[in-house]
Amino acid sequence: MLRALDLANLPDADVVALALEGRDAAHRELITRYERPVFSLVFRMVRDRELAEDLTQDTFVKVLSHLDRYRTDFKFSSWLFKIANNVAIDHLRRRQLDTVSIHGSPHATDADAVDASRFDISDGSENALDEMEAKELGSAIEQAISGLRPEYRSCILLRHVEGRSYEEIASTLDLPLGTVKTYIHRARHELRRALEHTRE
Amino acid sequence: MNHRHLLPNEIDLLVDGEAGFGVAPLRDHIDECAECRMRFEDARVVVDALESLPHFAPDSRLTDRVMSQVSVFVPAHVAARDSVARWLPQPGPARVAAAVIFTSAAGLLTLTMVWLATQGEAALFMTGLLGDRMRGALLSAARDLTVALLGESALAALQATGAIGVSLLLAGFVLTAFGTVAGIRHLATSGRRVG
Repeated sequence: MLRALDLANLPDADVVALALEGRDAAHRELITRYERPVFSLVFRMVRDRELAEDLTQDTFVKVLSHLDRYRTDFKFSSWLFKIANNVAIDHLRRRQLDTVSIHGSPHATDADAVDASRFDISDGSENALDEMEAKELGSAIEQAISGLRPEYRSCILLRHVEGRSYEEIASTLDLPLGTVKTYIHRARHELRRALEHTRE
Repeated sequence: MNHRHLLPNEIDLLVDGEAGFGVAPLRDHIDECAECRMRFEDARVVVDALESLPHFAPDSRLTDRVMSQVSVFVPAHVAARDSVARWLPQPGPARVAAAVIFTSAAGLLTLTMVWLATQGEAALFMTGLLGDRMRGALLSAARDLTVALLGESALAALQATGAIGVSLLLAGFVLTAFGTVAGIRHLATSGRRVG
């Protein structure tokens, strides 16, 4: 019987191999390991919590239903992010969503729904003024990200939130390396301009 | 002296923390040029803000919802391996004891088969004798059953027709049995529909 502790110490490729042997616990370990980063990426792409939950679920169902297609010469996490990004981008293209304010989903119909779809960022270790400044910057950066083109947004989130190298991002998104560098450069430029008002 | 300001991609190199050939002069320029240093710091603020963004947690039921939609397929060789493993005792010493017992039993069986092979003629005779006795017992039982069900005259007719008659009788019996079962099922389902 596989123990959760045993699985947690295994590299992705080994857990995938166990999942391909029909081990239920291995499937669950893959979800547990990546649910937060995948959800975070999708949430920042579509800016709607409920929608992001559904798209994250779709991502994991696709990945786990087609594990036999995973090639071990590719990092599992890169393959997973590729599918997550495609799911989010496909949805954005279908729905042609506007960029959403950090202060809540445009689909919210009452104050409770706005609160539920909004997210707050705070660091408890800061004093009141620092916390306010951090919140302002944190909210400002989230708002600025939501103003980026989806392609720029994917690249900048994978680079700086997920810590992927340029080469990994290029293979994950099926883009030339030069294009990835260009997108990230332009995204940083746009974010810098959007944040100018917070730099006193 | 070259007073060229840094290009945007050179600022990016520094922001990305690159350390290759050609980066050191860029760092030196940053130390000397206030304008480029300010551009670098602006870029650095953006990157620091991005890198401090948190991960969000999805609903705690995500795993269960995903697993309810995923069919977990167990390959045949894995299922067979698991079936064997279920029969094996868990503790190590018990597994060793089981292996010893199994090996001994297999060895004994092999020796028995070898001995029987050496006693070929006697084995054939005994097998034939046993077969004759079993055939006799079966025929006697079948004769008694036929007489009980159909009477002596039916038995005489069957004996006269031989194998063909027996085959027809058996085929008739099987068809009757299937027909009876099908009829009962049809009656039951039609009764349910009306109900």
